[in-house]
Amino acid sequence: MKHSKMSAAALAGVLALALASCSGGGGTGATDEPEGSAESLTMLIGSSGDAETQAVQAAADAWTEESGVPVEVVVASNLNQELAQGFAGDSAPDLFYMGWDQFQTYASDDYLEPYAMDLENAGDFYPALVDAFSFEDEFVCAPKDFSTLGLVINTDLWAAAGLTDADIPTDWESLQSAAQRLTSGETVGLSMGPEYQRLGVFMQQAGGGLMDGDTVTANSPENVEALEYVQGLLEAGVLKWPADLGAGWGGEAFGRGSAAMVIEGPWIRGALENDYPDVQFQVAELPSGPDGPGTFTFSNCWGIPEGQDTAETAQDLVAFLTSDEQQLQFSEAFGVIPSTESAAATYAETYPENAAFVTGADYAISPVAFAGASEVVTEFNTKITTLQSADAQALLDELQSQLESAYEASQG
Amino acid sequence: MKERVTGGLITGYVVLVVLALLYIYPFVIAVSGSFKTDQEANADPMALIPETFTFAAYERLFTGTDLPLWATNSFVVTIVVTVFRVFFDSLAGYALSRLRFRGRNTVFALFIAVLAVPSVVLMIPRFLVIKELGLYDTYGGMIIPLLADAAGIFIMKQFFDSIPASIEEAARIDGAGVFRTFWSVTLPMAAPALITLTILSFQGSWNEFAHFVISRQSPDLHTLTTGVGTLVSGQLGSGTQFPLKLAAAVLMTIPVAIMFFVFQKRIMSTTEGGEKG
Amino acid sequence: MGATSTAPAPRTRRGSARGGETAAGWLFTLPAILIIGVFLVAPIALALWVSFTDWNGRNSPLFNDNVEVVGLDNYAAITTDDSLTRELFGRSIRNNVYYVLFVVPLQTALALFLAVQVNRRLLRGKGFFRTAFYFPSVTSSIAITGVFLFLFASTGVVNRVLALMSVEGPNWFADPRGIIHLLLPQPPASWLEPGFLGVSAWEWIAGPSIAQCVLILLAVFTTSGTFMLLFLAGLQNIGPEIREAALMDGAGPIRSFFSITVPMLKPTLFTVLTLGLIGTWQVFDQVYLTRGTPAASTLTSPAYLAFQQAFTDNEPGIAAAIAFVLFLIIIAMTLIQRWVLADRDEPRNRRRERRRLAEGAARLQVGPTAGAGGGLT
Repeated sequence: MKHSKMSAAALAGVLALALASCSGGGGTGATDEPEGSAESLTMLIGSSGDAETQAVQAAADAWTEESGVPVEVVVASNLNQELAQGFAGDSAPDLFYMGWDQFQTYASDDYLEPYAMDLENAGDFYPALVDAFSFEDEFVCAPKDFSTLGLVINTDLWAAAGLTDADIPTDWESLQSAAQRLTSGETVGLSMGPEYQRLGVFMQQAGGGLMDGDTVTANSPENVEALEYVQGLLEAGVLKWPADLGAGWGGEAFGRGSAAMVIEGPWIRGALENDYPDVQFQVAELPSGPDGPGTFTFSNCWGIPEGQDTAETAQDLVAFLTSDEQQLQFSEAFGVIPSTESAAATYAETYPENAAFVTGADYAISPVAFAGASEVVTEFNTKITTLQSADAQALLDELQSQLESAYEASQG
Repeated sequence: MKERVTGGLITGYVVLVVLALLYIYPFVIAVSGSFKTDQEANADPMALIPETFTFAAYERLFTGTDLPLWATNSFVVTIVVTVFRVFFDSLAGYALSRLRFRGRNTVFALFIAVLAVPSVVLMIPRFLVIKELGLYDTYGGMIIPLLADAAGIFIMKQFFDSIPASIEEAARIDGAGVFRTFWSVTLPMAAPALITLTILSFQGSWNEFAHFVISRQSPDLHTLTTGVGTLVSGQLGSGTQFPLKLAAAVLMTIPVAIMFFVFQKRIMSTTEGGEKG
Repeated sequence: MGATSTAPAPRTRRGSARGGETAAGWLFTLPAILIIGVFLVAPIALALWVSFTDWNGRNSPLFNDNVEVVGLDNYAAITTDDSLTRELFGRSIRNNVYYVLFVVPLQTALALFLAVQVNRRLLRGKGFFRTAFYFPSVTSSIAITGVFLFLFASTGVVNRVLALMSVEGPNWFADPRGIIHLLLPQPPASWLEPGFLGVSAWEWIAGPSIAQCVLILLAVFTTSGTFMLLFLAGLQNIGPEIREAALMDGAGPIRSFFSITVPMLKPTLFTVLTLGLIGTWQVFDQVYLTRGTPAASTLTSPAYLAFQQAFTDNEPGIAAAIAFVLFLIIIAMTLIQRWVLADRDEPRNRRRERRRLAEGAARLQVGPTAGAGGGLT
């Protein structure tokens, strides 16, 4: 009888353990699949701001109404990490933004369901985007939209500095002089994120780039010239990184009036309208460098994890989200350019103020993105923060060797 | 001599008051900052009294984020963990202190060895095990690994050691079983240690972060630490939003602050369970 | 207070009750053994296995045909291979070394100072001061880090205060410059060659970055209260009589502090240093929360890097290897410190030391530097 009491106590403990484990269940993801009938989707997005979040949520709701399948839209605070953790934990979201920079890595690890060629509108996407999201010649996931970079100008500050339309920078020299004139007191002429994803455009404008076909060309003289030009802007005090202006990103620095010009993409429009509705601005193409114009194109695709039960349903949702009609709604909400040629044409007509971004698409290139490149680029970005006091050549030499070994590794 | 002592005391006061202000100031400024507008928090972070007093940040927390859900999860996890940890730790502590059984020394040595394993080192390994057991991204995975801890067992064992064995004699002679003796005679005597352990467990699981980062990922399972963590480390492009972050910090501190002020004496008593117990 | 009252278990009931006690003993300890075994001991074994494989994080690392044993490759990747991963690891070690070098002495000294001040017999408002100094220790690392991000923003409170003193403050969290670098002229080129763990000699001597200094302050701010309590317990053991006797002998307060108080506090000092070392080598929360800041690469710690390798870079093998190297570092540090401060370790002292460690660890664990002091959760 002594025993029975003790065992009861111990049993209670074990029971509690069991209970605790049963009461689990994340409520989403793979864990509640057995419920079967009540299928639901989880969508993980990396949002540029409230405007984008709300638009995606609205689209998902609209689809839910049609299909009866509930969709939970989850905004990642760090998309790449949360995605990776999802895959590591065998509970990846059913649908997610797959960034251009991570796509090759994920595709080469067989993490992605190749579904895009089965879509009805598979042939409507921009060929460049289809290339960007193909792995071993297979069109894997449908491009969500795309963006290019432009020069965003605060028109009030522009006028206040006595500048006119004729002064809109067309080359490096006029960019520097405009930035110079816009710099005063609390305002700096130009700002942009301290990262390859911005500075890379100067490399292209100088005739350089990190890759030329299969060759890594990170430390080419053109790239050195580009970095030295940016260094010059920093030294002159007409360019400052957002963090040095107390802002989290270029758009915030611009909205607050801490920077009169920023190099950003169309997403800045939605963010500004939401957070800083009073700021007047216009968008120009990026100025040309010694070798002509240059800008980056960024894109996400709608990723679906490989071999998930929900893949087919998720695919339906993608078809809905990539329809011209829906894409144009996203455009309206947060400025991205539709990924299908037909919708992009409509877009250019509807939003002449974004014309500069669309024009940029003519000569835009994709940033380097082979599997493993993003780790090297991240490392390079940490160095850019201190570009002002750094030796551009040495910086690029280091990048060259890291990129070379990463590229070798990616080629197996 | 006396002079010098008094002089020292005054200098001591000044130094202590300055230091105390330094320690308190961040909390005061956090509270006042949480009632400012975004603009004012940036433009005038120093002002202790907001120029325009606003609840906007709190409103946003309750309407724009899942803070209520995070708080619920935090309470559920914290309460379950605390209740069971105190129970399991006392059971084990009692057995190690009172019961003679073969293998006792081995078990004790195991617990002591475990004390020396740094928990952060275990983060990735534990994730692997949680995943293998199919507990990843469930309450089970978040809660079960926290249900017992070596330090707590040790504290309880020490305390039971200090309770004279003779008090159990009467109960045993009356024929009470081991569990009853433990439950109704010895355990009540250990109330001070139980309270200490309860407080420590409560605060520990309320403030736990790393474990909840690796044991879950679904937003439905965010606790206050991981949820507010996403706010603090900033969503992409959402700007600095200091009042929002400060308001979240203030709210999540309230329960531990209440706990702290209610049990201040016990928490800060340095002799009990420390040198004497 | 001296004698630890270790009440022996009742020896009277040898005979019949013994079998019962064995069953009861195991039943009572079973839940704890299960939990600690499954979530503390088993992980170590599993991770050791993973650290020798090329598992990519998908499916199970056990009974999986796609998983191959790669021997010491993962350890080589962070120590001998000329790779970016090694450099990241080297840098995380560098960052963490400076973090430890600054936090441990500062928090110990400050805690001791506070304890001595608060322990003065004539002091009024003791309770208030203790509360003020200890309160940061019970709050969460998330909340405190959020507040510090606000305080140390480029135009934040700290820089405004500095401006009042006509000092132009740095942009704290965005400033990756090492504070020792700031004092030195540009080095000869040979210093910039990749050195130990792929990090150049010049980078090794960088000192903590300005951003790292904020995390150092944060750690000192949040742990000094806990350690103050440990020192207070030690001080109460000394009792005022001894110090007064010293004063009678004509020793000044400073001399009596160093010749009487510090030696008598040696056991506590030992505990505080051990906990400090273990804790600072495990810094994670603050690093995780500031991972998006511009100077993040000067804030990484091995603990964070392991996390990143496992969850962002899909390299659980390397992550596990980093975890084991970190484990070895922590053990080595504790042994070295134990050896330096060696005392003739009587068994009785051992026990008390263990208790102090458990107490302190349990306390630290609840606070913003969670993770400090042992595998507690």
